[in-house]
Amino acid sequence: MSALLEVRDLKVRYGGNLALSVGALSLGHGEIIGVVGGNGAGKSTLVNAVAGWSRGAPRVEGSVQLGGRDISALPTHRRVREGLLLVPEGKLIFGTMTVEENLAEGIDDPGEGRKPYSVEEIYALFPRLAERRGHLGSQLSGGERQMLGIGRALRLAPRALLLDEPSIGLAPKLVRTVLQSVSDLRAHGLSVLLVEQNVKAAIEVVDRVLLLERGQVVLEGTAAEMRNNPRIAEAYLGAQRA
Amino acid sequence: MNLGQQILNGLVLGHSYALIAIGWTVLLGVARLVNFAHGQMYMMGAFVAWMVMAKVGLPYPLALVTSVLAGVLIGFVMQEVMLGLTLRQDLVSIMIVTLGFGYVLHGVAAIAFGSTGQILDTPFSTINVYWNDIWFTGQDLFIIAVTVAFFIALQLVLAKSRLGRLARMVAEDPKLAILAGVDVRRVYFGVFAFQGAAVALAGAIVGPRTPILTSMGFEEVIITFFVVVLGGIGSVLGSYLAGLSLGLFTAFFGALVSPAYTTPAAFLVLIAVLVLRPGGLAAKPGGA
Repeated sequence: MSALLEVRDLKVRYGGNLALSVGALSLGHGEIIGVVGGNGAGKSTLVNAVAGWSRGAPRVEGSVQLGGRDISALPTHRRVREGLLLVPEGKLIFGTMTVEENLAEGIDDPGEGRKPYSVEEIYALFPRLAERRGHLGSQLSGGERQMLGIGRALRLAPRALLLDEPSIGLAPKLVRTVLQSVSDLRAHGLSVLLVEQNVKAAIEVVDRVLLLERGQVVLEGTAAEMRNNPRIAEAYLGAQRA
Repeated sequence: MNLGQQILNGLVLGHSYALIAIGWTVLLGVARLVNFAHGQMYMMGAFVAWMVMAKVGLPYPLALVTSVLAGVLIGFVMQEVMLGLTLRQDLVSIMIVTLGFGYVLHGVAAIAFGSTGQILDTPFSTINVYWNDIWFTGQDLFIIAVTVAFFIALQLVLAKSRLGRLARMVAEDPKLAILAGVDVRRVYFGVFAFQGAAVALAGAIVGPRTPILTSMGFEEVIITFFVVVLGGIGSVLGSYLAGLSLGLFTAFFGALVSPAYTTPAAFLVLIAVLVLRPGGLAAKPGGA
């Protein structure tokens, strides 16, 4: 599988503290990689740094290539326009705008190899959003917000989607719905870096798994290899205890 | 007291206040920024219009356009200088820098236009209308018409257009707007340019009501502050209502009590309103 997204020597520091150090990470076309690990392992830091985004002010070093092009020097909004979309943890939609307004900003002609999703296609993917199209973002449930966050990203014709904890705070049935939707996107050639604490659910939809501990990748393998790996079980159980 | 005359005076004053304040309303609402050079930008708008008409000899419509362009330019230059502070939302430094800009504009205007008062006569300001026992000028009607049209257009742009949607996205959460592919820097530039344009337009339209001086500006900042806070931060409709309320209050308080105590009395009202409705007039009771 050829690489769509390649990360090299990525280091993130807050103040003088090294929060993340990843030597190499490669995401193939149409591949879903699950990034798992306990609280504070650096999962969100990883996807945020790849997107060039943060609510804080970290110092980020390293290179990020998308489709063979080095985008490390690009500001975040330009990476978005290049097709690298982050759906962050926490606040991921505009609460003062309706569902329809949240989905209004799109790319009509994104170029070769990128699928522009229309608003109607988003509604087909997440029928619940169609029912709530006139509601404000702040009136949506947690699951609906996740769907809208993903839908909002799809409107911008992503090549690679970075999803940060899409299942957090959701009921088990909704977790399956959201993750299955993510899995379905692979059929359209979309690549996904999926940060998840719910390892059990995530491992069912991903191709490969990275285990992060204290800001470093300590284990990597295919979903099949990792399913019964004791360290993954340990990380998963750790997450459950937290 | 001539009731009809005071109502008309209040309406004209109120629309003037609303027009002077609208740029700051959008600036504060979208970019969470303040601009203490606002009053001097108003003064520049008035003097550029005066210069275009009195010195260059061009008609009033072209003077309005030139004032707006000058306001855009000043806003753009200010934002270019302060972009780093803006992106860091360093409000204390922004306050000081904009206050400094105000003094610079005052100095530049004093050199360029002199320190004596000027009369900005327009084709409307020389039209006197007497209706029963009420007197007003064509400029008064022009102020009301332009302000109403401006506020309606702004409401429509913010609610219905892509530009307005981008501004609202940045207003709610600039970090999240970046993840929607929005170039927040450009939005900040646009908002500063809009603020400059709007207040310069106000200077060229409201300025003709009184003699214009390069030392003016402080009163306009106070009025703007009052209107923006009373209306509710970032609320366009709230600013309009607050401007109107302040205008009517000023007219009636001046006629019934004394014009000398209008500003302290108005601020007492502002304090009372903010205690009862912390979010201003546009907020739901109890704040927010």
